[in-house]
Amino acid sequence: MADQTYPIPGSLDAAPSRGAALLEWLHSWVVTVDHKKLGILYVVYALFFLVVAGVEALAIRIQLAVPNAHFLSPELYNEFFTMHGTTMVFLVGMPILFGFANYMVPLMIGARDMAFPRLNAFSFWMTAFGGLLLYYSFIGGFGLYGMGAAPDVGWWAYAPLTAKAFSPGHATDYWALALVVSGFGTLGTAINIIATILSMRCRGMTLFRMPLFAWLMLVVSGLTLITITPLTAAQIMLVIDRYLGGHFFDTQAGGSAVVWMHFFWIFGHPEVYVLVLPAFAIANEIIPVFSRKAIFGYPAMVAASVGIAFISLTVWAHHMFTVGMTSVSNAFFVLSTMMVGIPTGIKIFNWLATLWGGRIRFATPMLFCTAFLFQFLIAGLTGIMLSVAAWDWQLHNSYFVVAHFHYVLVGAIVFCIFAAIYYWYPKVTGRMLSERLGKWHFWLFLIGFHVTFDTMHFVGLLGMPRSIYTYEADRGWGTLNMVVSIGGFVQGIAVLIFVWNLINSYFHGAKAGNDPWDAWTLEWSTPSPPPPYNFATDPVVRSRRPLWDLKHPNDPDWKYER
Amino acid sequence: MAMPELAQYEREHAAGSSIHLPAPTAWPIVLAFGCTLAAAGLVTNMGISVLGGVLMLAGCIGWFRQVLPHEKHEEVPIAEQPVTITSARALVERIRLSPEHRARLPIETYPIISGIKGGIAGGIAMILPALLYGLIAQHSIWYPVNLLGGAGVAHWRNPTTAEIAAFHWQGLLVAILIHSVTCLLVGLLYGAMLPMLPRHPVLLGGILAPVLWTGVLHSFMGIINPALDQRIAWGWFLVSQVTYGVVAGIVVARQDRVPTGQSLPWAARLGIEAPGLMESRPDVGPPHDNSRDQENH
Repeated sequence: MADQTYPIPGSLDAAPSRGAALLEWLHSWVVTVDHKKLGILYVVYALFFLVVAGVEALAIRIQLAVPNAHFLSPELYNEFFTMHGTTMVFLVGMPILFGFANYMVPLMIGARDMAFPRLNAFSFWMTAFGGLLLYYSFIGGFGLYGMGAAPDVGWWAYAPLTAKAFSPGHATDYWALALVVSGFGTLGTAINIIATILSMRCRGMTLFRMPLFAWLMLVVSGLTLITITPLTAAQIMLVIDRYLGGHFFDTQAGGSAVVWMHFFWIFGHPEVYVLVLPAFAIANEIIPVFSRKAIFGYPAMVAASVGIAFISLTVWAHHMFTVGMTSVSNAFFVLSTMMVGIPTGIKIFNWLATLWGGRIRFATPMLFCTAFLFQFLIAGLTGIMLSVAAWDWQLHNSYFVVAHFHYVLVGAIVFCIFAAIYYWYPKVTGRMLSERLGKWHFWLFLIGFHVTFDTMHFVGLLGMPRSIYTYEADRGWGTLNMVVSIGGFVQGIAVLIFVWNLINSYFHGAKAGNDPWDAWTLEWSTPSPPPPYNFATDPVVRSRRPLWDLKHPNDPDWKYER
Repeated sequence: MAMPELAQYEREHAAGSSIHLPAPTAWPIVLAFGCTLAAAGLVTNMGISVLGGVLMLAGCIGWFRQVLPHEKHEEVPIAEQPVTITSARALVERIRLSPEHRARLPIETYPIISGIKGGIAGGIAMILPALLYGLIAQHSIWYPVNLLGGAGVAHWRNPTTAEIAAFHWQGLLVAILIHSVTCLLVGLLYGAMLPMLPRHPVLLGGILAPVLWTGVLHSFMGIINPALDQRIAWGWFLVSQVTYGVVAGIVVARQDRVPTGQSLPWAARLGIEAPGLMESRPDVGPPHDNSRDQENH
């Protein structure tokens, strides 16, 4: 026994147990201040809620597929359409786009991180906890129908429906407080993006050499600061009304329900552009790369983006034509709304000019962007129709309006989000998404989208109001509603294929390399996935397409750019 | 960062072995959770708000200690990861321009003042056919004035023809305002647009553009304002628009053109003094000193 040796604890190179490794991995995500990890957290969080909101939408569609249906109770139906709208705007749209901005902007401008990394983490967690607080109302919210009541006042939450008398309990408070919490997260991210872009660009990257993605994120962040503020103020006023006996929106006590509408839509309409400008930003990166041409009219694209942001702040009351404004107010908001068509038209023409004469590759990201171009044009045209006050009076609150804004939010924004995921997934994970599954996803989603939302325009023209629980069989809406619902399920199948593609490709996808698309912006000059410090040496750029310059040393862009 | 740490960081950084990045921290999530609980307490139990307040306080203190007196960092070693920046597409095609084609449009434009002059001249000229229409068709020069400025007449609801034909000072003021602003803006548009029209700028800008504009207005005025649409005599409207277009077009086209300066740097186009941004033009000598000329003479 004397010569027997025993291992000394601590001197062994012991591998941590599986549980400990998992805990360590989780801990690294919880305490991270790395912009890339936070960007991934934003995107995963938003994709989770995309599925949740999708399930709510499908439940709504089952309810409306046939007349006199009782698949959902009227109470749950109200909660579902409220939560679907709120989720898609606040828990899917903004987080996923800020997630892309978080991940991509520092890489694109040659920075090591965001300007305020800890604020970045704080902003994400505020957004995340805001969403969880909202959904906790399904369990803990006490509303009109007792416990387990989620908000049921519509995502616009018009007064006086939100008053204590009509919305007793706490369901509406969950809505207001959750959005206040997530709103502070949004403001923090917007400030961070502005500071990062203005102060952390690498050497040589002047504002007019910045990728258009970064430019548009700068514009969006500025717009976010302006628009989230009135929403937050209005929600605090609502909480004061409900808790402290205030009368901001109580018409009988000298307040005004219309004031809520103004506050909400001063936020609500620019919010559409907060969501759609990042979609434009994604298209600005993908369309040139897959057309093998530089973007057409870079300065005009920047000017048009700034123009859209400014004009979008002057159009909010086109949501209120039926409130009964003066003819001068109506005329002003008709014309200002129509003016949005000018900068957006410039963008459409510039994208077409970029495609023109290019050697186009229809990989999955480009397929989604091509569909976006067509669908956004249609969405813009129905927008122009609805901007005419007299037309709006006929169709306000009808399914025509629902179809129009889903053409924007799904046809433009969700299509571009899918394009972005197919485009940047290789950078984030080091693996390619399956092109075969991607094409199945694209075509099924495209068909499902058009079956649903093209048909929905006609349901609206036939007079079906939005937000109704059910309808009588003699209205003539039954067949069209069934078609709309079938299209919704086709989209659902497409999303399932997409989710499977995300998971399967993470483990089994082809290795991507650092630059699988032969692209031109700085993020493709780093390994996939990028190291924590992004760039081992600080990059120096001389043109808008720094990787083009490196790949074509005899024909660099800086010789031509002015 | 203390001085010895700073020196060590600089040594490592200079050697290129590691890069320092902000250290991971749990305090942001603690603070965010505290804020959320503080809000959630309003709809659950005040105890939750108190707990949220405690977490917020802890989060703030922890966060301050992360950044004060010096920001906490972690050293991340640089890993050797191969990156290839090449393209399989070596062939580059560029658009070839023949000498008669312009790469930038337009090379020259009219100065802003020409658009203002054109707008004023056109605006004065188009008053004549409009007043003539009022006199002939409605026996009153105020009829077309009130059609334009009627929105300014307080409490007008479905006015009769006689009311529109009468004088209203509010209508006159609003009409003058709308007419002046619109004429100036369209004049400026002409100044910008005419150089881009390839041939017959006055014909295209002075006649074709007003015809198209009148057609567009005619097509949607019935939707925007049906009452106004019924009162507009579109033939006379077209005559006044064409009068404006031709007069404004002629006035603008007679002005001297100036280079657009599209090839100049942004700062120079903004008029900022920025020596060194622009290359000196070989055909231009040093700035001419007029005062010295006068002395020599």
